[in-house]
Formats: sequence, structure tokens, C-alpha cells
Amino acid sequence: MRLHSMAKVIRSKNAGPCLLTLDIMLPDAATFAYVATRVGSLRRQVAERYRLSENQVIVLPYEPALAVKITLPRETMSGDVGDRDVYGAQQHAPLLDIDL
Amino acid sequence: MTAIARLLDDFGRRRRPLRSLGASGQLGYGIPTPALERGLSRAPDMIGVDMGSIDIGPAYLGSGKMAPTRVGAKRDLRKVLRAARRLDIPLIIGSAGSAGARPHLQQTLEILREIAHEDELGFRMAVVASDVPRGALRQAIAAGRVRPMDTMPPLTEADVDAAAHIVGQLGLEAFRRALEADVDVVVLGRACDTGIFASIPAMLGFPAGISMHMAKIIECASLCCVPGGRDSILGVLDDHGFELESMAPERRATPSSVAAHSLYEQADPYEVREPSGRANLRHVTYQAIDDRRTRVEGATFEPAERLSLKLEGASKLGYRALLIAGAADPHFIERHQAIFAAVSRVVRDLVCEDAVEDYRLGFRLYGVDGVRSWAEPPAHLPREAFVMGECIAPTPERAEEVIRTTKQYLLHHGYEGRLSTAGNLAFPFTPPEVMIGAAYRFNVFHVMDVDDMARLFPVEVETLS
Repeated sequence: MRLHSMAKVIRSKNAGPCLLTLDIMLPDAATFAYVATRVGSLRRQVAERYRLSENQVIVLPYEPALAVKITLPRETMSGDVGDRDVYGAQQHAPLLDIDL
Repeated sequence: MTAIARLLDDFGRRRRPLRSLGASGQLGYGIPTPALERGLSRAPDMIGVDMGSIDIGPAYLGSGKMAPTRVGAKRDLRKVLRAARRLDIPLIIGSAGSAGARPHLQQTLEILREIAHEDELGFRMAVVASDVPRGALRQAIAAGRVRPMDTMPPLTEADVDAAAHIVGQLGLEAFRRALEADVDVVVLGRACDTGIFASIPAMLGFPAGISMHMAKIIECASLCCVPGGRDSILGVLDDHGFELESMAPERRATPSSVAAHSLYEQADPYEVREPSGRANLRHVTYQAIDDRRTRVEGATFEPAERLSLKLEGASKLGYRALLIAGAADPHFIERHQAIFAAVSRVVRDLVCEDAVEDYRLGFRLYGVDGVRSWAEPPAHLPREAFVMGECIAPTPERAEEVIRTTKQYLLHHGYEGRLSTAGNLAFPFTPPEVMIGAAYRFNVFHVMDVDDMARLFPVEVETLS
């Protein structure tokens, strides 16, 4: 199953100027459980797509909102020379077709 | 009697739930009047507004400019100031003027004084600047009391010297000291948004964890609702939890929408941090009261071992100039990387004939790699693309020289396989070069241990009549 066909929200934003935080919000408890039991695979694929090592990627299931949060270091600090997305709001696209 | 004295007096006679109105999470971009008025009709005990964030990037902190326009900021400040004076309740403003440094604070205070004069409002105002004294910061670095946040390198004295402004995110302790100066209005420089709404509860003895959790939610106004929005929100706090209700009828605070708000712009949805400690949200429950209101309970407060302050600083990189153009030639789009590299060399050889290479020139091709640096090239090249050239140089004149030269040579660059020999670029207007002034970067994002906040960040009181 591709993430974009399961999630109701897939978004990214800064968490401070050095980190990017990505939220995958699922529509129901069953879909949340499906994703939450596959965090290992999710983490591996995220690391690959964002060109990071797996230990730089934090994946945290957050049951109260049926969401999975991913936090990554930004490639360039927000607003620094060469940054392309100061708010980090358009860095979610590589997640869309992750297959779990 | 001041507004805060009246509130404390009222609670002294009869303990009851505290009603806080989160009027705006980004003051200066418009406060919808119907929801604000509905909130005022619900007898709030205080009005709080947040003006700032670090998410807007380093330019505002560096330059001392506000993110919204002065007109927009004044319109919103007038609404909340008049409302608070009409009801005679405290107004608390955090992160004055977007980035919260001295120039931002001064612009905010100047606007408030103007409104007081124009609308004939009298009040006592407490102000706490959040600019970190450079001497104290240098001493803290030497004493090993400054640590980097996230991926930052250790802070050096050179960083301190280079920063245009350095502010500390003041906590509820500073808001509380300001309120204890017996005032109607509190204005802080850069501050934790939680302090805006958690400081009065702290004075009234409400549990710190629950208060901080509520504060973290209502500082964003109705963003925690479905649909989320910037309308005012009412938070009603008691000793066991709090209730949330948007003042816009179409916005519903549901258990899942409120729980989801903890994800927003936060690396850890289970905690809310403050200089004095953190609220732990591991055991929080969200319960629907009806289809528009949610009750939240269960956050606990864990005091920090020592007081610490999150620091933010921005230093000037130079001056930025842009080239704006488009392209529709498939050969140009396909070969853009080699073309940009070749033109960069041509430009360097010209502008560095009698000067050093003291600038940085870069390009983005929107449609291909403008938004992110992709691991893979695109499967299909776009029919059109937007070209942005960017130069950062030590002076505005140098940035302009480099970008104007770049425009000429990118337009006429002859590359292998070129068919469109009259010009490579479509200019939407001329001049296609834009000078946008000073460019900044965050060079301070660290944590400093502090023993005595009051000494570093004293309260100043001003009476307007």
C-alpha cells in the first residue's frame, strides 16, 4: 500500500530551523495500526529518499491523533545560503509513494 | 485598580475556572472581528496574542523588521487593546514585532502608544526586552554553559560578535514578573508562546502541566479545530483540565483535531518545553463535550534541573540580488546544469578581473529542482521552467553587478546543440534583476543556562494616560 492512498494528511514543516518534521495522519485505527507496525520499513525508506542514514531519522507513532511523525535534520538550515524551502512546507513529496 | 489586580482580587474572593481568550496566533495578519466579538461576549478573564515565531526565517530577526506590515500590526493591536480596556482585563502580548528583538519591541510599543493617544486609552504597561546581554553570553560560553540545539555547531565568541541581534525565548517566569508589576498590559520581546497563557494560571495556582498544555494550544487561536483557522478561541481552565471552544461557529474543537495540534511544528508531540521545565503529554485524554467543544486532562509538569534559555541570533550574510526569467527550450532545460556552471565561470572571469571572488552565485530551475534537491532526476522534463539566479555579495552594488552580468551572459550563452540563438530566456518584465537588500542567516540557535532571569531581563513599567 502506498502512503498517499492510506493517509488523509501528509505534510512537512520546520521544527525549529535545523529540523524538518513530517506528519502522516491516518483515517482510522486500523490504518494507523498498519503503518505503526511498519515503522522499521518506513524509516528505511525515508532515510533512502532523503539521503540520510537511518539513525538520523526518528519515526514516532502518535496514537492520540492516529498519526506517525517523522523528524529529520534539514539539509540546509532554514533560510541559509542554498536553502530552497524556508518554512519546510513542501518537503513531503518523497513520502507520497512510499510502499508499506 | 489595574486589570491584573482586579483579576487576582476576584479569584481571592471566589475560586472559579479561568477563561482565556486566544485572540490571534500571528498578530498583524488580521483578527476576524466576529469571532473576537463573540469571545468578548463570553466574559474572558484575559486576552493573549502571539506575534512571532522562528519559522519565518532569519531576515526579520537580523534586520529588525516586522513580518506583517505596520498598518496590519496596528489594526490588530488596536482591536485587542481596545477589547482588553473595554472589559478591563489583562492583555498579554508575546514575541513583539515578529522576532522579538529590541527594534521589534520598540516598533510594537510605538504602535501601542499611538493607539493609546488616538483612542484616549489609559493603562499601565509592563515590558520585558529579551535581547541577551553580549557580556553575559560571552561569560556563559567561557564557562561551558551554552549548548547547541539540534544540528548546530558549538557557539563561539565570533558568532556572538557577528550576530545582528540575539534574543532569548523568555518563559512564563518573565510574563509573571511583568504581571506582578501590577499592570493592565504586558509586552514581551521574544518569548515562549506558552508563557502568554500559562503565566496567570501560575499566579492563581492552577496545575502547571495542564496550564502549559492549554497555553500551547490556544496560542495558535483556532488552528486546533476542524476546519483549522485563525479565529479567536476560548480556553476554560480548572484544576483538573481545560475546555476548548472556537469562537467561530463553523470551527469545531474535536478530540482528534485537538490531539493532532500537538504534532504541529514540534519534533515531539508528547511534550511542551519551557525554560523552567516541560509538560509531559503522555497520559493526556481528549473528550468531546459536544460536537464543538473538547475537554483535555492529564498533562503533568516536570521541572527542569536548571533554568535555561533558548537563544536565537541572526547574522548578516551580505546583500542579495535576483534574476527572474523563464525558459521553454527543451535543450536549455535539459542542459541547465552545465549551462549554469559555464555561465558562472564566464561571469566570474569578468567581474573578478579587477576584484576578488567575494560573492556567491547560484541558480534554481523551478519545474526541475527549485523546491528541493531530489535524489533522482525527474522522469520527464517540464515544457516550461522558471529560472531564478541568486547572488549574495558583500555590498548591494557588487550583488547588482554580478546579477546584471549574469543576466546578459545567461541570455546569450551558446551551448552545444543550441537552436534558439537569439536568446535563452523569457523575461516577464524588465529589468529582470531585483535587488532585495540584506540577507541573513541564523548563526545562534543554542541553549544557555541562566541563574537569574530577572537580572538579565528586567521589567520596565510605563504608564499611558
